[in-house]
Amino acid sequence: MTSTGLHLIRSNALNHAPRRFLNAYDGNWHVQITQGESHVTDNPKEVLTTILGSCIAACVRDPVAGVGGMNHFLLPESDSGDSTDLRYGVNAMEILINGLLKLGADRRRLEAKLFGGANVLSGLSDVGHRNAAFAEQFLKDEGIRYVGGDIRGDHPRRIQFWPVTGRARQLAMPTTQDPAMLVQSELSLARAGRGERKVDHDVELF
Amino acid sequence: MVAAAKLQTVVVDDQLTMRALVRTGLQQIGITQSREFPSADEALQNVLVQPPHLIISDFNMPGMDGLEFLKKLRANPALQNTAFILLTGRADKELVVRALQAGANNYLVKPFTVGILKQKIEQVVGALA
Repeated sequence: MTSTGLHLIRSNALNHAPRRFLNAYDGNWHVQITQGESHVTDNPKEVLTTILGSCIAACVRDPVAGVGGMNHFLLPESDSGDSTDLRYGVNAMEILINGLLKLGADRRRLEAKLFGGANVLSGLSDVGHRNAAFAEQFLKDEGIRYVGGDIRGDHPRRIQFWPVTGRARQLAMPTTQDPAMLVQSELSLARAGRGERKVDHDVELF
Repeated sequence: MVAAAKLQTVVVDDQLTMRALVRTGLQQIGITQSREFPSADEALQNVLVQPPHLIISDFNMPGMDGLEFLKKLRANPALQNTAFILLTGRADKELVVRALQAGANNYLVKPFTVGILKQKIEQVVGALA
């Protein structure tokens, strides 16, 4: 057991990619997705996790093919400062979608959940909400079904997504909370045996 | 100098959002004559009838991919000299080499700026006016 109480096996010791850990509590491989990354899988034992502030994570899957994935991106301000630079988001979505298609997904069956896009620095910028608007518009333009999630607001979020089943959970983080503390609180909740509860849009809070 | 407003361009990408981004970029550099297609199959049927001056095509598309599209273009005498720029999602050296060997004139790695788009086009067709 590590000092944080997590039963983790560092996957690189098992010749897997970095930042992929076997969580002994649930028996799943947890893959941590950070900004600019994307991961697709057909492994039902993989859980994709990320922490979001203004960033967006799109969780996309094909329920028939049994493949899914997650990306994590943030649209920077454009050079002129009066709009958001869309190209990074478009590219992030394309990488995710192309990865799913390579695993056997059919574009017509894709469905997505969106998370993030919070205006964490309230009053200073609405970049989070602009990210959320971009992601919604992207799904609409590309004809991808938008089946749930949780975007906007002003709180950071910790997300878990089971790509094969489409199950998603989120933990709303206090704006002042350090992500490292979040792991501790998550463990505390798990040890206390607190159950998960269903909320709207088929997203669970944990 | 090439008159940008007279340059007939075809944009091929399965994502509407990417086509819109390319269109906006083209418009910003004065290229207003562009036709867009969501698949290489549809684009091929069109350009066989109405050859453009420049084709900007994605590589990774369902059905016919950008490389196969390029090979079919080059197999047609009427399209052997049409300028072709391949859009790629990553800087894949092997793919770029294969594309150039198949007759691509240039490549463009996403995400790209309007400045890079213009630079890549000018490297193929000459300075835009």
